[in-house]
Amino acid sequence: MHEMSIAAEILDQVIEQAKVNNLVRVSEVTLEVGFLKQVVPELMIIAFESITTDTIVERARLKIVEVPSIAKCNECSYSFEPKINNFLCPKCERADVNVISGNDIILKAIFGEVKE
Amino acid sequence: MANISVVTKKRILDTNDQEAAKTREAFKEAGLFAVNLISSPGSGKTTLLEKTIEKLNPEQNSAVIVGDLETSRDAERVAPFAKEVVQINTGLSCHLYANQIQESLKGLNLSEIDFCFIENVGNMVCPGEFDLGENAKIILLSTPEGDDKVAKYPTIFRAADLVLLTKCDLLKVLDFNMDRVKEDIYKLNSNVKIIELSSLSGQGMEEWLSWLKDNRTSFIGAKAKFVTE
Ligand SMILES: Nc1nc2c(ncn2[C@@H]2O[C@H](COP(=O)(O)OP(=O)(O)O)[C@@H](O)[C@H]2O)c(=O)[nH]1
Ligand SMILES: [Mg+2]
Ligand SMILES: [Zn+2]
Repeated sequence: MHEMSIAAEILDQVIEQAKVNNLVRVSEVTLEVGFLKQVVPELMIIAFESITTDTIVERARLKIVEVPSIAKCNECSYSFEPKINNFLCPKCERADVNVISGNDIILKAIFGEVKE
Repeated sequence: MANISVVTKKRILDTNDQEAAKTREAFKEAGLFAVNLISSPGSGKTTLLEKTIEKLNPEQNSAVIVGDLETSRDAERVAPFAKEVVQINTGLSCHLYANQIQESLKGLNLSEIDFCFIENVGNMVCPGEFDLGENAKIILLSTPEGDDKVAKYPTIFRAADLVLLTKCDLLKVLDFNMDRVKEDIYKLNSNVKIIELSSLSGQGMEEWLSWLKDNRTSFIGAKAKFVTE
């Protein structure tokens, strides 16, 4: 369910980018997925395939690059890699952090045929 | 035909976030405090709204926006208490989008409203990804759901501005480890406020109402300061 709602957003962005860049067909999409988004790559690929049917993105390969998470403690500024269930700063033992990486999904690149 | 590679840096969900930012601006303008209520189905969101709005009346006016896959039953339940009610049927979508909130606000006279309660679609995962322009995300966990749910759905609890542990009247018949739940929340978000609540017995209601009023006051106070600066 989660992957499905995100896949719909990705498709919108891909189609928009394709239009802007005169692509008539998209064959590959590269996505950066932050660890904290808890996206299951296999499920995302299935969701993406099912949603791209009958669009210029049909049968495009979805490449997912996973980005690890980094949190920075608001108390002592120490940076660490949190676990999904544990954001405690190893120094302060409190979870009061700013997530500086791993909390985004970014469309990195699309590859396809351009109109001549 | 030539093949080309297009390099972008587009954040997915940017469009939704931009819509949400517009809504947040409109709320600020109108001086109303908006909350997004998120939980699994049946954890007591609508019941709490009925009780809450009844208590806020007549001094404060409330608007309710309810998202459900189908039916307008929740809207009918809160209608006797709220000044404005909008039901959104999301059909297949398991969460609300910012633009649906924008649409809902169109018919409302925001300046007459003090609190806007958005009851999201019952789901502990997707609503967390979609900002609606609210001032606070409130996560409800009802005690019968079990004390392992924070550990199972950590992301939504990390995003919370307030956690309501609901149906606490049932604690005596449940094997629910309150310390474990609080500890699990502390590991994700050590600053978040937690209120033990029961819409049935009234436990925690005063604390909840104070939280709402205090947060609205500081939000509006911030606005007043902003204007004079
Ligand atoms: N024992 C008890 N039951 C409650 C309480 N709050 C709600 N319920 C019941 O839980 C069920 C689901 O409540 P509802 O408000 O519709 O949940 P929602 O799906 O989150 O809106 C209903 O049968 C309510 O009567 C409470 O504080 N204590
Ligand atoms: Mg409800
Ligand atoms: Zn620290």
